Amino acid sequence: MPFKFNNNHFRHDFLIIVVCVLCGLLIANLYVLQVNNSDKYMILSDKNRIRLVPSLPKRGKIITSDGKTVAGNVCRYKLIMDYCDKKTFSENLDVISQQINFTKEEKEELLKVRQRARAYHLPIVIKHDLSWEEYAKISMSFFKLKNVSIENVYVRTYEMPYEFSHIVGHTAFSPDNIRGIIGKTGLELSLNEQLMGKIGSIQMEVNSIGKKVRVIDSVEPMNGEDIVITIDSELQKFVCDLIAQQKAGACIVIDISNGEILASVSVPGFDTNLVSKKISFLQWNEIAQNPLFPLLDRTCSCAYPPGSVFKIAVAYAALKEGISPKDKIYCGGGVKLDNHVFHCWNRGGHGYVDMTDALKLSCDCYFFEIAKRLGIEKIAEHARELGYGELSGIELPNESSGLLPTKKWKLFRYGSNWKPYETMIAGIGQGAVLATLMQSANMMGKIFSNNKNFKSTLIKGKKFEAELMPFDKKHLEIIQNALHLVCTSGTAAGSCNAPYGIYGKTGSSQVRALKENEAGISNKIAQWKHRDHAFFVGCAPFANPKYVVAVFVEHGGGGASIAAPIARRVFDKLMERELHAH
Amino acid sequence: MRIDDFKQRFLFLNEFKILFILLAGLLFIGMLGQYSAFNGEFNVFVQRHFLKIIFGIVCMLAVYSVDFRIWSNYAYVFYGVVFVALIIVEILGVIKLGAQRWINFYFFTFQPSELMKIALILALSRYYSLLTPLEISDLKKHIVPFALTIIPAYLILKQPDLGTASLLFFVGIGIIFMSGFPLKAFIALITCGIALCPLGWFFLHDYQKQRILTFFNPDRDPSGSGYHVLQSKIAIGSGHLFGRGFLEGTQSKLNFLPEKNTDFIFTTIAEESGFIGAIVIVTLFLLLTLYFIWVASTVRSVFAKLMCYGLSVLLFMHAFINIAMVIGLVPVVGIPLPFLSYGGSSMLTFSFCCGLVMAALAYKKSY
Repeated sequence: MPFKFNNNHFRHDFLIIVVCVLCGLLIANLYVLQVNNSDKYMILSDKNRIRLVPSLPKRGKIITSDGKTVAGNVCRYKLIMDYCDKKTFSENLDVISQQINFTKEEKEELLKVRQRARAYHLPIVIKHDLSWEEYAKISMSFFKLKNVSIENVYVRTYEMPYEFSHIVGHTAFSPDNIRGIIGKTGLELSLNEQLMGKIGSIQMEVNSIGKKVRVIDSVEPMNGEDIVITIDSELQKFVCDLIAQQKAGACIVIDISNGEILASVSVPGFDTNLVSKKISFLQWNEIAQNPLFPLLDRTCSCAYPPGSVFKIAVAYAALKEGISPKDKIYCGGGVKLDNHVFHCWNRGGHGYVDMTDALKLSCDCYFFEIAKRLGIEKIAEHARELGYGELSGIELPNESSGLLPTKKWKLFRYGSNWKPYETMIAGIGQGAVLATLMQSANMMGKIFSNNKNFKSTLIKGKKFEAELMPFDKKHLEIIQNALHLVCTSGTAAGSCNAPYGIYGKTGSSQVRALKENEAGISNKIAQWKHRDHAFFVGCAPFANPKYVVAVFVEHGGGGASIAAPIARRVFDKLMERELHAH
Repeated sequence: MRIDDFKQRFLFLNEFKILFILLAGLLFIGMLGQYSAFNGEFNVFVQRHFLKIIFGIVCMLAVYSVDFRIWSNYAYVFYGVVFVALIIVEILGVIKLGAQRWINFYFFTFQPSELMKIALILALSRYYSLLTPLEISDLKKHIVPFALTIIPAYLILKQPDLGTASLLFFVGIGIIFMSGFPLKAFIALITCGIALCPLGWFFLHDYQKQRILTFFNPDRDPSGSGYHVLQSKIAIGSGHLFGRGFLEGTQSKLNFLPEKNTDFIFTTIAEESGFIGAIVIVTLFLLLTLYFIWVASTVRSVFAKLMCYGLSVLLFMHAFINIAMVIGLVPVVGIPLPFLSYGGSSMLTFSFCCGLVMAALAYKKSY
C-alpha cells in the first residue's frame, strides 16, 4: 500500500526529537540528584538508618576516709519495650501488670509516652528499676510478651543517707535520657563530671520501623572515677546523732593540720535513696514542704547572723586598727543611742572590761563601743580577711557567701543611708551581718593554723595550694588567749573546761527584738522559731591546736547552754579518737 | 498458515539481534534488581519473576508467529472484547490495593486496562489505515479516534488509575498526531486541552488530589503522601556516581523505600548502581523506543506504521512517567517500569508489544 502522509518526515523527526529531549530531561535531573546533590541525600540516607545509642559508664563511687562506700551502684534491671502498635503495647502492659504492680495512672502515662515516641519509633522504658524478684517474675512470662527486653542498669544507692544527705547529695535520671544518672546536689553535683566518666556510644543500623539490624560501630564508655572524701563516717555518725537530738542544726569538724573536713552534718537530713529514684509527688512534697527544710544544707548554703562568734572578727579588726587591747570600756548593762537603749546580754553590766575580758564574757557593750570607733567599713575589711563575706571554696554547690554589710551595700540594696546603730549591732554579729557555719569554722581554722589562706576541703589528698600567710603574732596571742579563757572561766566554762584545754567562743544570735520583760527568759518561753540561734566555735587541744569544731543549733537557745556542750562531746570524741590512733 | 511460513519466520529471527540485545539487557537488569529488592535471596518471588520473563518471551514469540494480518482484521473485535472486559471490571472487578483494576479468571487475575493500551493502538491504526489522505484532512473523521481514546480512558480513570488513563491518552494523541491530523488544528487542540486542565481536577479522587498537591509542595506532608518520593529521592541521591554497590542499598534493604520491587524498582537499582546504572537504564529505553520508531519508518503499511508509532509512544511514556515519578518530576501515579518491575500484566503487555513490532517488520520483509 504505497501511500504518503502529510508532513510524514517532519512528524517522524518531531517524535524522535521529543523522545530524545525527554530522555535528556531525565538524565539532567538524575545528574543533579545523584552527582550534584549526592552529599545531601547521603546524609539524609544515613540519618534514616543510623541511630546513635549512648552506652552508659559506671558512675564513680564516693568513699569516706575510713573506707566506707557512701555512694555506690547496685545492678538493677530496666524493662524496655520496642516500639509497637497500640494493641500489642497494651496487651504487653496487661501481661506485665499481672507480674508487677502497676497503677492505672502509670499505665496511662506509658500510653502517652508511646504516643510521643511514635514519630521516631523509639524504644520505651516501661520500668526503670526492677528488683531481682520482679525480673524473675517477668522472665517467666516472657513467652507471652512481644518486643520486650530487659537491660542491666546501675542504680545509685547511698549508705547512711541521712548522715550524708548534704555532703554526698543525690542524683536523678537525666531528663534528656542520654546521660543516664546525673548529680543533683552535694558532691554528686559538683563532681558530676569526674563521677560520671565518659559516655560511650553505639552506632546502630535500624530499619524503617526502628528495629535494630546491626551494630556499625561502638565507642566504649569510660567509667567514672571513685572519689575519696575526708569525712570519717564513724565521726560523722556520732556528730549526726548528737545534733539530731535538736530539731535542726549543723556541725563541722575540721582537722586544721591539713584542712580536711572530718565531719560535716546538717540536720535534719533526708533519704537520698528515695529522692534519687522516681518518687511520687506526695513523697516529694513531704520532704520539700517539711517546716524544718531538710533539703537545706545548714553548713554552707544557709547564712545566719553569727552572733557573738563574730566578736572574734571585730576584736581582730580592732587590733589591726591599733586599738589597744588594754583599753578598758565601761559596761553598765546597756548603751544608749538616740533614745534607744542597746542592752548587753547581761543587764547587770560587766563593769570595766578590756578586750580579753570582753571576749571571755562576751560583753556586748565593749563591742558596741569598739564597733563605733572602727566604723562598719573597717570591720568589713578585716572580717573579710578572716573569710567572712566570701565563698569559702568548699567543694559543694550552692554555697552562700554570707553578708558583710557596708554603707555602699545599704545604699545599693535599700536606697537609704547607713545608721550608726547598725554599726553597733554589726559589732556583735547581729543586724545585717550574715555568715555560714562554714565561714565561722574556717575563721577558727585561719586563726589556729596561723594562716590567712587556710582552706578546708572535702576531697582527700587535695593539696594545699595556698601559701602560708601568717597573722601578726601579738594579735593572735591575745585572741587565742581570750578564747582559751572563754572555756576555762568565761561563757563556756560550764561545759568546755576540759583537761586537754579548749579554745572557743559561744554565740547566741537573736532572731527578733526582745520585749522589755522578756530579757533572760525569752528562750524558755518563746515559740521555737523565735528562740535564739545557738553557736559555738572551738579549737582543741590547748597545747597543739588541731581540731576545729563549729556547732550550730537552729533556734537552740543559748550558745553556752546548748551549742557548747555538744562541742565538748565532739572534742571528747576527737581526743579519744586521737588516742586510739596512736 | 503454512509450515514453511513458520520456518521462514524462525529464520527471520536473525534480523532482530538489536532488539534481543536491548531486551536482554533490560530483563537482566530487571532480574538483578528484583533479586536485590528481595534482599538478595533467590526466593519464590524472584523465581516467579524469572518465570514471568520466560512466559513473556513465549508470549512475544507467539504473537510474532501469528499471521500479522489477523491483528489488522480483528482490531475492532479485540478492542470490543477488551472494552467489555473493562465494563465488567467496573461492575464486578476484584478490589486490590484500593482500586478496581483486576478481573479474576480463577487461575490468574488480569487487568483489562493493560490490554486496553494495545487494543487502542490496534483499533486506531486500523481506523486510520482505511482513511484516504483527503479524509484525513477532514476534522470530522477524527471524532471517532478521539472517542475510542477518551471513553476507555475515562473508565480507567474511574477505577481509579490516573497513570494508565493518562498513558491511553498520550498513546491516542500520539497516533492521531502521527496519522496526519491537520497541524494547526492539532496545535489549537493542545492549547485548549492545556487550558481546560484545571477542569480535570474535579474528576480526580481525593488521594490523586493529595498526590498532585504534594508534588507541587513535597514538604507538605513528608510522612504521608510525600513520603514515597522523599525516600525515593534520598535513595537515588545517595547512590552518587557509582552507587552503593550491589545488595548494599540501605534505603531499599531497610525498607525505607516503599514498593521497592514494583513501581520503585528504578530507585532500588539507581541506589545500588548510581548515576551510571541510571543512565544505562534510560539509554536502553531510549534505544528500544528508537528501534520501534525505526521499524515504524521502515514498514510500508499504514496500519503497521501507526501501530509501531503507537507502541513506541506507549513504551516510552511508560518508562518516562515511571522514572520521572520516582525522581519527583511528575506526581506519583502508580505505573510500573516496563520489563523491570515485578508483575505479570506489565510483562505480558510489553512482550505483546515487542511481538507486534517484530511481526510488523517480518510482514514487511515477507510481502
